[in-house]
Amino acid sequence: MEASTETAVRREIAIAARPETVWEFLVQPEKATRWMGKAASLDPRPGGEYRVEVISGNVALGEFVEVDPPHRLVWTWGWTDESQSPVPVGSTRIEVELEPDGDGGTLLRFTHSGLPDADATAKHAHGWDHYLERLGIAARGDDPGRDTWLDQMT
Amino acid sequence: MEAALKAIAAPHRRQILSLVRDGELSAGEIATHFDVTRPAVSQHLTVLKEAGLVDERRNGTRRLYRARPEGLDPIREFLEQFWDERLEALKREAELEERKKDGSEH
Repeated sequence: MEASTETAVRREIAIAARPETVWEFLVQPEKATRWMGKAASLDPRPGGEYRVEVISGNVALGEFVEVDPPHRLVWTWGWTDESQSPVPVGSTRIEVELEPDGDGGTLLRFTHSGLPDADATAKHAHGWDHYLERLGIAARGDDPGRDTWLDQMT
Repeated sequence: MEAALKAIAAPHRRQILSLVRDGELSAGEIATHFDVTRPAVSQHLTVLKEAGLVDERRNGTRRLYRARPEGLDPIREFLEQFWDERLEALKREAELEERKKDGSEH
């Protein structure tokens, strides 16, 4: 894929917790589900399975690629409902880097790359509404008040 | 975003979008692919055009339509919102956990 067409989401956030603590939330199912998903099955070693049920019946599935606690975690990511989703299993990649800020906190760098570009998205046009709706419900998660656009779909 | 979501909510409009993804077609050509009337196709095209998902070009008396890829940026924006909210939740929970750990150490 050409760089110009690459679609990625990049974020940096400061967390007032040590990298070791943040790491637990990436790889321990009972902690991972406190920020994303209803259920998680995580095998954090290269080739190990990453499986998170984001909402009922909607599973994000992937494989751990790099596991370097508590510095760097890379895994592949996609939705199992391949017929409906423009983001099939294994098609995208998530990288998380944790850097100590020297003051007991962590700078977290997040990259979700390999997302469908406009062309790929058009190809999977039939999946958009389903995908957006499911993701929308998931994104609302424990903050139902913040996501208003979903109500505007109808 | 809203207009794009509404535009793609209808199966016929998604099919039209797929048809004009790789090349220009007229409304009449598009209509031959569907079991819907030509006026219905024109109406769908108007919705898609207003949502920024197709471009219209006049060629003599014909109007040709083609998918407009940048109209699909909302999906990226959506994922940004998705991760922003999830990462905020991660921050909240990790900080809560850290405070708990601090509390048990003292």
